[in-house]
Amino acid sequence: MFFARYVPSILFLFVAMIACDSAEPDDDHIGDEELITRISITLVSSNGISQTANAKDPDGDGVDFEIDTITLSSGMTYTGSVELADEINNEDVTEEIRGEGDHHQFFYVVGGDATSQVTIQITDEDEDGLPLGLSVTVTVADGGASTGTLRMLLSHYDDVVKTGSNRSDETDVDVTFPLVIN
Amino acid sequence: MRRYCEDAFPVPRYKPAMKRLRGSPAWMSATRLRVLVCGLGAGLLLPVGTLWSQPVAGTITDEDNHPLTGVHVLVDSLGMGTITDAVGEYSLPDLPRGAHTLSFRSVGYATSDHSITALGQRIELNVVLEVVVVELDEVTTSADGVEHDLTRAAASVTTLDPDDLNALRGQTLAETLSHLAGVTALTTGPSIAKPVIRGLHSQRLVVLNAGVPQEGQQWSGEHAPEIDPFAPVSIDVVRGAAGVEYGPGAIGGVIRLEPNPLPVESDLGGFVSLNAFSNNSQVALSVMIENGVGAIPGLGWRGQASMRKAGSARTPDYVIGNSGFEELNGSVTIGYEADRVLLRTHASLFSTELGLFSGAHIGNYDDLLRVIARGEPAVEYPFTFDIAAPKQTVRHMLFTMMADIYVRRGSKLKVQFGAQQNTRREFDAHRRFSETGQGPDFDLGLATQTLEIRYRAAPNESFFWAFGSSGMIQQNINAESGYLIPNFRAMSAGAYFQATWRRTPWTVETGLRGDHRWLEAYPRISRQSGFERRTHEWTGVSGVVGVIRRLGHTWSLAANLGTTWRPPGVNELYSFGVHHGTAQFEIGTASLGGERGRSLDLTLRHMGKITQLEISAFSNRMSGYIHLFPQQEPRVTIRGAFPSFQYMATDALLRGIDGLFSLEPRRWLHFDAQGSIVRGTDQEAEGPLIFMPANRLTLGMGFALFDSMIPGESDLEIEVTMVDRQGRYPKGIDYAEPPHGYTLFNFGYHLELSSGVHASLTVQNLFNAAYRDYLSRFRYYVDNPGRNVVLRLSIPIGNQQHHPHT
Repeated sequence: MFFARYVPSILFLFVAMIACDSAEPDDDHIGDEELITRISITLVSSNGISQTANAKDPDGDGVDFEIDTITLSSGMTYTGSVELADEINNEDVTEEIRGEGDHHQFFYVVGGDATSQVTIQITDEDEDGLPLGLSVTVTVADGGASTGTLRMLLSHYDDVVKTGSNRSDETDVDVTFPLVIN
Repeated sequence: MRRYCEDAFPVPRYKPAMKRLRGSPAWMSATRLRVLVCGLGAGLLLPVGTLWSQPVAGTITDEDNHPLTGVHVLVDSLGMGTITDAVGEYSLPDLPRGAHTLSFRSVGYATSDHSITALGQRIELNVVLEVVVVELDEVTTSADGVEHDLTRAAASVTTLDPDDLNALRGQTLAETLSHLAGVTALTTGPSIAKPVIRGLHSQRLVVLNAGVPQEGQQWSGEHAPEIDPFAPVSIDVVRGAAGVEYGPGAIGGVIRLEPNPLPVESDLGGFVSLNAFSNNSQVALSVMIENGVGAIPGLGWRGQASMRKAGSARTPDYVIGNSGFEELNGSVTIGYEADRVLLRTHASLFSTELGLFSGAHIGNYDDLLRVIARGEPAVEYPFTFDIAAPKQTVRHMLFTMMADIYVRRGSKLKVQFGAQQNTRREFDAHRRFSETGQGPDFDLGLATQTLEIRYRAAPNESFFWAFGSSGMIQQNINAESGYLIPNFRAMSAGAYFQATWRRTPWTVETGLRGDHRWLEAYPRISRQSGFERRTHEWTGVSGVVGVIRRLGHTWSLAANLGTTWRPPGVNELYSFGVHHGTAQFEIGTASLGGERGRSLDLTLRHMGKITQLEISAFSNRMSGYIHLFPQQEPRVTIRGAFPSFQYMATDALLRGIDGLFSLEPRRWLHFDAQGSIVRGTDQEAEGPLIFMPANRLTLGMGFALFDSMIPGESDLEIEVTMVDRQGRYPKGIDYAEPPHGYTLFNFGYHLELSSGVHASLTVQNLFNAAYRDYLSRFRYYVDNPGRNVVLRLSIPIGNQQHHPHT
């Protein structure tokens, strides 16, 4: 009869599954999303003094997010270069972005009292001759001490076509450094 | 021959509103026609019959030859009847001369109709009644169809039979069900829709597929139930607290898909169905073939396959880029029935690849606000059939084995085993920096096995009880990437008892159930510390009491009081990360307890000759209601700021009214109205709950066409759906205000040829209105799709009896 014949085997399957399987994850190959965990801007002043400001998010989830203050001098010009890294997967993301320059662009927005005092010029180009923004010139006008913010945005162009002045709807990086001008 | 899942009482099931959407006009339905013809016959024969009365008598037994007492013996056409005595005998002494149909009905047994012709001699008619299989129906007894519809369940139940479903073929389950009062669809673009019953969805609903609770990755709004829209089933929708047999999770309702009866004799049949949808250039094809194996009586099989292919959907003003899908489904069912046993094996495969609107792939909260401010997509998308990332590929395999064993005298043991494997891969638009993601960003595999055992004691006229227990084991594994949902294992076990008493005009249903759930999850607490093992256990009790009171011949009032619970889902415990598409950071709370609902439903039903009414009022008080609660501080990451939400428990109250009314003043004319109102309140925050469906009202009118040129039947229908703006929402939480209300007009023309071929032309959103629905998760980005002209053609194969229309 059916009951006697099949039900025990069904029960056996059922018990077998309880007994044998483990859902324990394997730490080695799971959960490694691609992230940016650090973005650095290195500013070299015209008199040769270098400083690096970092924004760090070691887990990529904002739990231990840290950001440095950028200190600039009134009347000084700086050459800036940007570096991005995925420190979880030990990857330098800078080169990936440069390689896909036609799909990326940085935007620099100065806020606060320093807005009119600081000018940022993108000095590099993608393969189509459009601005990229991994290299910049930062010009601080005379005007004494002030404070403000420097917001760095990285737009990713997928559906939206990059024109050199448009932001996309997909932002890969959006960090705001506190800015102090001496 | 007996068939699987035979309806307890093959009389017109109350098919609210849906009835009107389908091919043939309501008054043409076979059952009504039969009543009509019988009535006519009786009218002609009555004068003669009264002169020549003839007795009919006999004995009614069950399949084991035991006499059945209390069986109703009815001659519908004459409005007369009797019941069997203690030894199963009946006698109708005054039957007029002529042809009659005698109907033998008793709770728990299939109704048996017999035609006799009274010519002058005494007629002996002995009948063997067969035990029925349908679970939802077996708890009610019935003297006639009206009674059945009026006292079927204390909860609000609506049935969509294959006829109703055929008129809606080619759409997703949620879209199909959203034609019912109290059911709406939560959509994520045109390719994903999940049903919402009275404001509740996802883990608060149980979807029973061929008797097995569907276990997919249903935790998120963008994860639609993996159901073939062409599956040859009938669907029952229970709104609100359902019976205890469905287990925890059925806190908001149950959607039950039951395979159609299999043939038991050699009798090849089936149908080919072809649909075309203009809006997204969708083509859908389905083939179903079934037959009985002649050499082995009782053995039958069915094979079915369907495919759907759709391109990008269109709003009135633009194309919704990358919203196409491609679906391939199939199922095989084999059944065998003998005197005391009924076996069924069912295997199905659902597989889909679906694109998600790429304009909804945004980086952070700031991006979302800019998109909302712009009000339309940034670029003009071309129409395409290609599916690019972001996309999902989902595969769901289900295997079930079911046995009904008739132990003795109508008592029955049911054993059902189910195994399912759900594989869900979600591909982001691209890995963050590389151009195209080769691998998926999420790759989740969920394996579930369920076992259910149910014993139902032999029902008698006034009492029925059943006992059951169920077990479930489940395992979720992340492959390669992503860990928004951690790996977990879960086990559940439960047992229940239910009983129904009946004494005209009262019916009382009760049920009690206890469940235990164990969960072992491996969340990653932080990247540095890696995965940690966490275990949880929950125990809960559910109970239902329902009372139905007949009020005269055509009215009934039902009250259903229930308490149900569900354990928290693994996403509610351990989510940690940004949810794509809505740019919100979701955080689980590991200490969450279960959610408990206490609900009261009142349902008034009326089944008149030209009017039908079903209206329900409900109040569902939920303690520990788990929802995403906005956090004060946004989550700041290198990618920008994200509004942060944590799964928190609150006390919620959901109240509302839903129902329908239909009027058939003439055989060729009908009017319908159905509507629903839901009010959700967060009692702790003393404000409305977010994402509750807006007030909704649908009005319809249809008439049959009489045209001698057409060799068949045809009818026209016009329908208008009005959806209010949702004015009740928590202020300052959502990114955009609820959209405006909208009004949609639908038109339908149906043709049924005498050859059994059905054709229909329907136009949804006739005036191509641009609108956004509050329950569309993509309403921040795009309008809902515009006008859709749908052509449906269905051609029977072999014996037409298999055709879903007949």
